[in-house]
Parts: sequence; structure tokens; C-alpha cells
Amino acid sequence: MERGNYILRKTAFAVATLIAVLIFNFVLFRILPGDPVKLIIHSPRMTREAQERIRANFGLDRPVWFDGERWREGNVLGAFDSQFAAYVRNLLRGDLGISFASRKDVADLLAERAWRTVVLVLGGDVIAIVLGMAVGLIAAWRRGTRLDLAILLWGLFSWALPTFFLGIILLILARGRLPVGGMVTPGLKPEDGLAYWADVGKHLILPTITMAIVYTSEYILIMRSGVMEVLAEDYILTAKAKGLSTLRILRDHALKNAMLPMVTMIALTFGYTVGGAIQVETVFSWPGIGRLMYEAVQKRDYPVLQGSFLLLAVSVIVANLLADLLYSVLDPRVKAD
Amino acid sequence: MRKNLWKLLVTMAILTTFIPGLAGCATPTPEVIEKVVTQIIKETVKETIIVEGTPQVIEKEVTKVVEKEVTKVVEKVVTATPEPKPVEPVTLRVGMTYIWDTANPTFGWYNYGLRYLLYDTLVEEAGISNFVPGLAESWTVSDDGLVWTFKIREGVTFHDGTSCTAEDVAWSLNWTIENEIETFSFYLINFQEIIALDPTTLQVTLSEPVGNMEYLLMYVWILPRSVWEGMSYDDIMEFEDFAAGTGTGPYKLIEWVEGEYLILEANENYFRGDPAIDRVVYQEYATEDVMVQALLAGEVDVIDTVPSTAIQTLEGVENVELAVMWSTEIDELIINSHENGTQPASLNDPAVRLAIAYATDKQQIVNVAYLGYAEPATVVVPASLGKWHNSDIVDIPFDPTEGCRILEEAGYVDSDGDGIREDDDGNPLEYRLYATEDATPARILEIISDGLAQIGISAPPTLMDEDSLIGLYPDFDFDLIYWGWGLDPDPDFAMLIFTCDQREEGGWNDSGYCDEKFDEMYIQQGTMVDQEARRELIWQMQEQLFEERPYIVLTYVQNVQAFRSDRFTDFGLYAGDILWKSAFLQAKPVQ
Repeated sequence: MERGNYILRKTAFAVATLIAVLIFNFVLFRILPGDPVKLIIHSPRMTREAQERIRANFGLDRPVWFDGERWREGNVLGAFDSQFAAYVRNLLRGDLGISFASRKDVADLLAERAWRTVVLVLGGDVIAIVLGMAVGLIAAWRRGTRLDLAILLWGLFSWALPTFFLGIILLILARGRLPVGGMVTPGLKPEDGLAYWADVGKHLILPTITMAIVYTSEYILIMRSGVMEVLAEDYILTAKAKGLSTLRILRDHALKNAMLPMVTMIALTFGYTVGGAIQVETVFSWPGIGRLMYEAVQKRDYPVLQGSFLLLAVSVIVANLLADLLYSVLDPRVKAD
Repeated sequence: MRKNLWKLLVTMAILTTFIPGLAGCATPTPEVIEKVVTQIIKETVKETIIVEGTPQVIEKEVTKVVEKEVTKVVEKVVTATPEPKPVEPVTLRVGMTYIWDTANPTFGWYNYGLRYLLYDTLVEEAGISNFVPGLAESWTVSDDGLVWTFKIREGVTFHDGTSCTAEDVAWSLNWTIENEIETFSFYLINFQEIIALDPTTLQVTLSEPVGNMEYLLMYVWILPRSVWEGMSYDDIMEFEDFAAGTGTGPYKLIEWVEGEYLILEANENYFRGDPAIDRVVYQEYATEDVMVQALLAGEVDVIDTVPSTAIQTLEGVENVELAVMWSTEIDELIINSHENGTQPASLNDPAVRLAIAYATDKQQIVNVAYLGYAEPATVVVPASLGKWHNSDIVDIPFDPTEGCRILEEAGYVDSDGDGIREDDDGNPLEYRLYATEDATPARILEIISDGLAQIGISAPPTLMDEDSLIGLYPDFDFDLIYWGWGLDPDPDFAMLIFTCDQREEGGWNDSGYCDEKFDEMYIQQGTMVDQEARRELIWQMQEQLFEERPYIVLTYVQNVQAFRSDRFTDFGLYAGDILWKSAFLQAKPVQ
């Protein structure tokens, strides 16, 4: 019963956050200076009528929140025919609008790019999680030794490395041996089967290494401190006194109890997967969501930005919710909060 | 002990870095294969290029010879290798930070250079303002300047095989006007009637004479009826099919993966003959710096921009050649000239404007901000526009002492000793000086601000977001703005931005300058068929702007591109873009 309550509370909170994000997302792009029509129209001598037509096409001729004039005229329904109403209506239909630049459906654009980002981030994440946890565990077990110091220093050093800087250095080092950018050699298609995926794999190496180096350090540091904390507990001493093997103590007692912060970390990592690779995607010209956002900023393609922000927010909120729910499974104490 | 620690660190670094990388290193590099094949083709291709320059009649004969050579080469290949591989096409790979927004030419704004490889126009540009026949072989104009007759090339076909006769050209132009095609219909504003007299003769009747017919026509692509006929306006705007790339141009659109790459293939039926380069692959890189790395690695053959910070890096590199070209770009300091603008009254004083000109160190801007790849400017029409540029104007030199003298004489003195001059009413000469927040504008703004400080004018540099800056224009709520233009090859647009009408919302007049006499001259030049008379008037307009200074034009800018000289050679230089049709079609692979 209590657990049901907990789940309900957390879900309600996530939904409330989502609604706040939706409104914020709308307001954010309306308070920006400049006329969006100026951003859509590039041709220097377009007639005013044609400009108006485009304005109407994008719904930018409607008032932002509420049409007071129509309200006074007694047109109640028409009064709510505002940009905000259209935004909500379209969202409910899964319509994220049309890109200013390519006039393509934003939802389609995001879907096209999303799987590419997932391909890129998944490898880096998995390597980082496995390697980070293992190394962190070793460091904690051998705490105070030179090995621990070395791991700690490496963790801090690589954590502090700016992603784009590390990426560029790796890129210059590997120049000529590995492709400096892109996802696939132009012309190869998924239909080409193995040749295509081998080529994608080759393009994946540098970005994956970059992501792995940066993310591993986070896991090392959190794992190390988490396990160290647990190892100081009395029950570990008891376990040692009972004569349990190092492996069993680490596996059954230390690791399990140190998993809580790790679950949050992992959930957040995957939550940020969608947008978290902006820097890596930008350095390695990877055609994912991150680069889509980077380009949308440069071209002031507001609908695309709005759509990707929304996707980002939703994935973080969902990942957080999942972490919260997992907590209640992993740790019975949580529901009492 | 210390050694151990380092060993560990290094081992860890290797572990995290290289384990996942091993698999990929084993794959063979396809480049080697490519090199072998391109060598074979190069010989034949070179011949085709020579064909291009010669007149048409000879062209046919030469083409036959070339064909023979082709078979010879193929035979050689057969004897040389027992198992002949299919001949791979000559491929030129281009690196860009953004390929384009859409294949649809009716609203696609990015990468006109690429679009010009797909479509043809009646008139083409071989150099800035140097017009040559395109789909139209020749043209004549009636004495009153109203009726233009074009002779259309025979036997031209669109990529989909449909013919492109004078009737089709007429259809395309009429369709462009009827549907108000956003990207180029406004060039046809004065076109009243467009009809085909016979399959090779097109007649255009204008509502009033135009002074720059060739220039207007070089922007209007001839699109196929087979693709666009019968579509509503909304259908046209939503058309995303690759068929949108169908034209009569030297290349066909084969593939485009958004955010990744685009592939073009030579149109063997192109009216100037099969292009020397068989395939063009555009590859997208997220940043210019990485693009430079791709060029160094030989992953691309041409990059369309070289960031100024990378120019020195590339200068000494073997097998990389820089292409430096004058562009139509200008940089200017805008002085708010609107009578209802929010600038202080002193800024409207010609003496103050002249003093500001004396305090502007253009050479320093060229050296520091452009590393020498620019030149100090005088008038709005850049020198690259040839005869249209008023070369009689002698620039105001950088001379702060003279600037001080002028201000002193005009009664602006520093009465309170704070280093800033005041006008008669005691208002200090303090101006708002803005630019967009990018590296180059930031450097230029510093130089301008320093110069103004030397003549007792306080204008601390303020950098702001581009949108915020554009947001200031409608109300003319600024004093000085550093800005730049990429101008048209015809001086019309450079003059248009100083006309009164353009001050309205949605217009292009960013200085607020408005003068009746200037407006009259603008309208007049647009209708002058006599090019020499038009030039004189344009020169006069530039002189007026130079004297009244709504702009202090700072620099004419050069564009720098780079290519692999071990793979390709003989690119033409055109207005800052070796990928522009006329420049690009000259390129050939290296033997």
C-alpha cells in the first residue's frame, strides 16, 4: 500500500514537472528578441504580402496567449485561437511543428536523428558503466594504497577534461587512420549490410572512446566513494569476522549497498543520452540530436529547438521517475520518505 | 615507486582508450583502390575539359576523338589487369559545415552554389558582373528597351529526359511569377508577358525598361514542367521529393542524407558536354576546424571555408592549396541617420561623421581581424564589382590628429577635462557602439572604440546576440553598429538599402538614411538600358553616400577556400567560391 502511494506520488510529480516544462518551453521561445518571420524569410526583396502569407502559414499572425478583441466581440471560442492554444493542441496530436529551415516535420527530424544518437551513446555509456564500476570497486577495496591514489588521480583528471578538447586531441592523433567525422562514408547504405555497419563502427571508435573516457571517471569516483562508505559499516566488519571471502563481501554486501547512488547515476546518464552528446556529436560531426540542436541554434530554427528541448526534458523526467521507482524496489526504506 | 604510478596511469589510459578501437583498425582503407582507378580516368577526363573552352561546332568533332581515347584507355586496363574492375568515377569530395536546408528550390536558401549545378539559367556569370550565355545562346533588345528576344539552345533536356524548349522556358518563368516563388520571383517583377515564338525563340515584354536584365535572369532557375505542373502553392512548398532537384544543369541530384552527405552525378547530356568530374560528394562537418583536419587527412578534396585561424596552418602544407578570392562582402560601421532615431544630435553633424572617419583605422582592422585577407574600403559598392565600383573616391586616411582638429573647429571641446568632448549644450560625445558577439566583430569593435577614444569620443564596445541587435533596427534605437553585407554582383541591391521605402518594417535600410534625390536616382538607374549612363549614375550615388556617411565602409573582404592539389587542379576563382558553377566546371583531376 505504502509502495503504491510512493509510486503515485512520484508519478504525479513527474507529470507536474512535465507540464511546467511544456509551458516554460513555449514562453522561452516567445520572449526571445527578434521577429521569427525575419528568420524564416531570407530573400532580400520578398513582397510584404508574401511575408504575411508565411506569417499566417506558421500561425504567427495569431496573438500569443489570448485574443482580447475577439473576446469583446463575443467570439468566445475564437478568442482562444492563440499561438499557445495551437501549441498545446498540436502537442496533444504529437505535432511538434515545422522546421523554419527545412520546413520538415520536427517530429520526423527528431525521430531520424534519435536512433543515431542512441547508437553513439550506448556504447560509450556501457563501457563507462562497466569499467567505471569495476575500477571504482577496486579502488575502494584497496583504499589508501598507491593503486587507489593512481585511480583517484586518473578519475579526477579525466573528469576535468573538457569533452570537446579531448575529442579534438584524439581526432588529431588518429587523423589519417580513423575518419575525422561523420557516421558513414557517403554512399554506403544500411542495405549494404556488413560493409555499412563495419564503416559505421569505424566512425564510432573515436566518439565512443571520448565518451567512455569522460563518463568512466564519473562512475569511478562515485563507485569508489559509495563502496568506501559501505566498507566502513559494522556489518562489513561482521562479515569479515565470519570469515567470508573478499569477493563475497564485495559482491554480496558492499556492491549491493553501494548500488543506490549508482542507479541514480545510470538513470541520469541514460536520461541525458538524448541531448548529452552535443559536444561529442559536434566535434565528430555525428548526425544526432545534439548536432541537430547545435545547428538549430545557429540557424535560429526555433521549432526544432523547441522540439529537441521537449524531448530532452521528457527523457530526463522519465529516467528520473524510473530511478525513483527502482529505488523503492532496491531499498525498502525509501517508501517511508 | 613513482615509475609504477605512471605505469599504472598509462596502462589505464591505454585500457580506456584503445581496447574498443582495435576492431576498426583492421579494415582496409578504400583509398588505395580509389587511387589506382582514378589514374586511369584522369587522362580521358582532361581531354573533355579542353573541349569545353572551344566553340560549339568544333566541340562535336573533338568529342568523338575523346570517345575513341576512352576505349583505348579501357583496353589498356584490360591488358594490364587480367580481371578488369569496373572503372570507378572521378569523385570530388567537398567538406562543408552545412550542406543545405532542402532539395526544394522554391524556398531553399542555403548553398546556391550547389543548386546552380542542378539548374540552368538563361544567363550565367563567369566572373563577378561578367555575364555569359546560359540556356539562352544570345539575346537582343528593342530600342525602347521593353521587348527582349532570346535565342534558346536547341536539344537541351532536363535530367528526367523531358525537353527544354523555349515553350518550356516560358512555362517555367510564368509559373515562377504566378506562384510568387519566394527565392527568385521578385527578379521578374517587371516581366509583363513571356511567350515562345517558336521552339528556340523566347520573347519577354517588360512593363518598364530594366537596367540590369542579365543580372536579373542569372538568378531565375528554369524548372521542369514535368515535375511542378499542376501543384497548388501549398503542394509546392511541401514538395520534398528529390525530383525537386531536376533541372538541365551539369549534375543530377542522386542522394541526400540530411546532416550527413549529398551525392551528385554528372549529367552526360549537359549542353556543354559531360563534366570532367563524374561524382561530387558533399560531406557535412559540424565545425570548420574539424573540416580542416578532414582536408589534411585527405578525407575531402575541397573545403568551402577556411577559418582565419587555420589559414597559417594550411599555408605551408604540401598538397594543400589555398584559393584566395575577392568576394562581394563588405564590412561597415553604420551611423544611425534616421531623423526619428534615438541617436544624440551631435551624431547627425557632418563634422562629427567626418571626424569618426578620420579615427577609423581600417588597415588595422585588415591586419588584426582579417590577417591581411581583406583591404581597406571606400564606397558601398566593393571593388570586386568592377566598373560599378567608384574608383575615383579617395579614402579618408586614419589620422586622429586631423579628426581632433575637425571636432575642435566645429566647437566640440573637452570643457571638463574628462577626456570626452562636449557639444554646445554640454552633452558629452558618448555613443553606443554595438556588434554581434562573435570573435571577428569583437576585435573590430575594439579597434573602432580605441580610435574614437583618441579623438575624444567615448564609445565602449558592446557585444550582443544577433537577434537582439536586429531587434534594435525597427525603432532605430542605436548610435553605431558594426555590420556586414554579402552583396549582389549588380550594384542595385547595394543602393536599395539606402532608399526611404526600405526603412519600413521588413525592409533592409539599417542606417535610416533617406534622401529624396537619392531615391530618384535609384529609380532612374533601375530603368537605364545604357550601361555607361547607368554606371555614371551609380558612381554619383556612391559619392553622395560617401559624403553623407550613413555607413563608414570599413573593408572589402576576401574569401579563402582550400583544396587538395594532389587530387584536383585548375579551379576557376569566382567571387569567393571555387565551387561556383563557372569556376567548378574548369576543375580537373590531377594526372
